[in-house]
Amino acid sequence: MGIEASTAAPTLRPRIRRDPERGLIAGVCSGTAQRAGIDPIIVRLAFVAATIAIGIGPIVYGLAWLFIPTADGGTIAGRLRGGRGSVEVAAGAGLLVLSALLLFRALGWWYSDAVTWPTVTAGVGGALIWRQWMSVPAGVAPADPGDRDDPGRGALPFLEGRMLGTVGLGVALVLGAALVFLWANGALNAAGDAVLAVVVVVVALGLILAPLWWRLGRSLAAERAERIRSQERAEVAAHLHDSVLQTLALVQRRADEPREVAGLARRQERELRAWLLDRPPARAGQSLAGALDTVAAEVESAHGGTVEVVTVGDCPLDPGAEAVLGAAREAIVNAAKFAGENGPIDVFADVSPQRIEIFVRDRGPGFDPGAVPADRRGVRESIVGRMERHGGRASVSSAGGSGTEVELTLARSES
Amino acid sequence: MNGRSLDSASLVAGLVIAALGGVLLLDGTGAVDLRFAYLAPAVTATVGAILLAIGLSRSRRA
Repeated sequence: MGIEASTAAPTLRPRIRRDPERGLIAGVCSGTAQRAGIDPIIVRLAFVAATIAIGIGPIVYGLAWLFIPTADGGTIAGRLRGGRGSVEVAAGAGLLVLSALLLFRALGWWYSDAVTWPTVTAGVGGALIWRQWMSVPAGVAPADPGDRDDPGRGALPFLEGRMLGTVGLGVALVLGAALVFLWANGALNAAGDAVLAVVVVVVALGLILAPLWWRLGRSLAAERAERIRSQERAEVAAHLHDSVLQTLALVQRRADEPREVAGLARRQERELRAWLLDRPPARAGQSLAGALDTVAAEVESAHGGTVEVVTVGDCPLDPGAEAVLGAAREAIVNAAKFAGENGPIDVFADVSPQRIEIFVRDRGPGFDPGAVPADRRGVRESIVGRMERHGGRASVSSAGGSGTEVELTLARSES
Repeated sequence: MNGRSLDSASLVAGLVIAALGGVLLLDGTGAVDLRFAYLAPAVTATVGAILLAIGLSRSRRA
């Protein structure tokens, strides 16, 4: 016997189920009695006694109706549930608010039953309406012709089923609260209080219609954003047509001229980069960064090779900046002439309020700066001399086989 | 100690029901006079706190 008891599977007692078929109201007492194996009348009497004694019978019954499943396993709360646990959270929060209100009422911190309860009810109704309206995505519009044939969806095809029911409940709560308020304040009987009646109805309608107005605003904002996106797409398409597509057509026509094609591609790349970085090419004549880009393009066209320009910061082309630009141009030209075939020429410009620094680096064979003949004026005058005349400094570093780097530095006057 | 994780909903439910029981006990001994006007919010708050704990616990598990 003892062995049997320890090895037998535990007996699963059936879960409590509501039994609406045999119940007087919602089948809570009937289901509970069935689960307990007693006569339903005993449970009903217990509920009545609990109601008379401490008044919690209806609350317990209501909660049981919400959370006890029927025979098919579904609960009222489960049917109302949006997300997991949301109904419990909403009910719990609501009950806590209700208990606070009841406590205030008991303590005498109370304005009036005729005002507070209709206000709370209208607030709950308004919250239900808002919640449902806000859960409809802003992009959903009642304009899908396919849905118009569905008679179940009516004039608001984006509201359906349970959602429509919840909105209906919210509307009923708001209107009911308004009517109770009017009745409790005697406004329904006294013609002299017509103004109050109108105000309350307007407030109630406002609560109902405010989400609609809110949605309308959101839809307009979404439409505006879509229009802006369309304009931007059109602008991008126009730019690509005027620049990239034209260049590609030229490249096809000059396919047998590799140098020309490379130059076209480089120019297009530079222009596209400037556009992507929102750096208009018109700045070429006005700023150091733009002018450096122009110089690089000119050198590429004239001498071939690739000149990669990276600039950090920018400044206007004042006499000092023009001197640095001239020296940089000379350094880039030298690099293109003597090292253009050895890889790209890197130009890095760092412009700060205190100074301008430009580095020009190539990957050529290099040379000995001290061995340059006196009659060659390129490095000595166009680079070093020019920088010194404007209070700056130029240094040339080169070693056999490891390329050449020209560093140009000019202090800027604080302005 | 069977290694099961703490069920916060059960903990909250136990605490608030114990608190309600304490209040009812004080009422029974005559230490406080608990009228319906005060009992109703106490019961409502108890149920509300339990529901809130259950709901938050479920949404956390989801």
